[in-house]
Amino acid sequence: MQLIVNPADELPIYRQIMRQITEALAGGRLKRGDKLPSHRDLAQQLVVAPLTVKKAYDELELLGFIETQRGRGTFVCGKLPRVKRADQREQMSGSAKTLLSQAYLAGLNFSDVIEVLKDAESELTGERTAPATARTTALTKDRTKEES
Amino acid sequence: MNCILEFDGIVRAYRKNPPVLKGVSFSVHGGEVVGLLGRNGAGKTTLLRIAMGMLYPDAGSVQVFGLSPTAKPLEVKRRIGFVAEDQVLPAMSSIAELIAFHRYLFPSWDEELEGQILDRFSLDRKRKILQLSKGQARQVALLCAVCHRPELLILDEPAAGLDPAARREFLEVSIQLLNREGTTILFSSHYMNDVERIGGRVVLLDDGKVRLDSDLDRLREDFCIAMVPKASAPSVVALRNIPGCVGARLVFDDWHMVFQSAPDAAEAQLKKSLGANGIRCVRVPLEEMFVELVGGKRDKEA
Repeated sequence: MQLIVNPADELPIYRQIMRQITEALAGGRLKRGDKLPSHRDLAQQLVVAPLTVKKAYDELELLGFIETQRGRGTFVCGKLPRVKRADQREQMSGSAKTLLSQAYLAGLNFSDVIEVLKDAESELTGERTAPATARTTALTKDRTKEES
Repeated sequence: MNCILEFDGIVRAYRKNPPVLKGVSFSVHGGEVVGLLGRNGAGKTTLLRIAMGMLYPDAGSVQVFGLSPTAKPLEVKRRIGFVAEDQVLPAMSSIAELIAFHRYLFPSWDEELEGQILDRFSLDRKRKILQLSKGQARQVALLCAVCHRPELLILDEPAAGLDPAARREFLEVSIQLLNREGTTILFSSHYMNDVERIGGRVVLLDDGKVRLDSDLDRLREDFCIAMVPKASAPSVVALRNIPGCVGARLVFDDWHMVFQSAPDAAEAQLKKSLGANGIRCVRVPLEEMFVELVGGKRDKEA
């Protein structure tokens, strides 16, 4: 699992770590029972304060994504939490509207948006393909920002 | 948590000039990493020197490990590591000689750590200090400051003048120390990205006082900048009286306000107080927050 942090991002670093781990979970790059690096190792690797990584782990644990087993390490939970479908759908439809309106303003059509979604998907699952155009990359970036 | 360092009402002036520090109080607990921020001349170096017992405060008191650094200099210094902004190392001695000197001074010297850091920085023990680049000299200063495994590390702009790669290596060593020992660190810096990387808390000095003392993540999430059209408020005082506002200044045709609340709440509060439209509230990185809090007016009149 590759993580990148950017101190100048509008999200605090611990949130950036949380988001990337949940994205890896969503895309299946992290699987149930996988072991995560210790917070100290990850801190060393990312060059951020150990407490920041610990905070990200603690929050993810509270949300039920990962669990710490004393003396063994931190693992992805066997059973991931499910958000209620109805709530989720409502939220997604909001994000979808934002995405579509941004796309239409940028002069993209519906099938371009589908392309963008496919790119995002392959990025999530780790089958990273080069994005179709520079324009679509910019768009995906904007979208993730909006969501956060 | 145990209190490692405590400033209580520190006042300090140089000669007959107006005081640089006008009553600074805050404390640092074990394991904390505190970034001390402020503009040039805000008194960061003065405060750190007072903590080291290198300067007396005119009023107020400082306690390090519960002791006065001027009354018990040895006990205190043995447990502190310090890198000054303008640290001068003896030019004619070699790295090895300098290390030998420090090893002699500090009984708790850790040779394994010494080797690791020399390795990490690719420093050659035989080189003389005057042959080193500015960055390498700082690395040697850091090595000398940390190899006795201090409980408290005080760094005064440790990264000033270093290239980005050297700065990153500096941070890596700091994180290694945090990981191994849970060392407490108080450091001043103008590199906000570095502060975001290793800091857990920031203390901002302005006009001789602590302007802001906050957990870094809270600062990033629970503070925002509001931009309000100039015409919607009569004066800076009116804005500063709005609940939640911690600072306001005029930037060309807009008021920029720092709010202690999330963007939505700030926007609601402003709509209620001013009834104005065209208000935008955003979360910003530390660098922007710093500029908004202590930056000068960007207009002749305010």
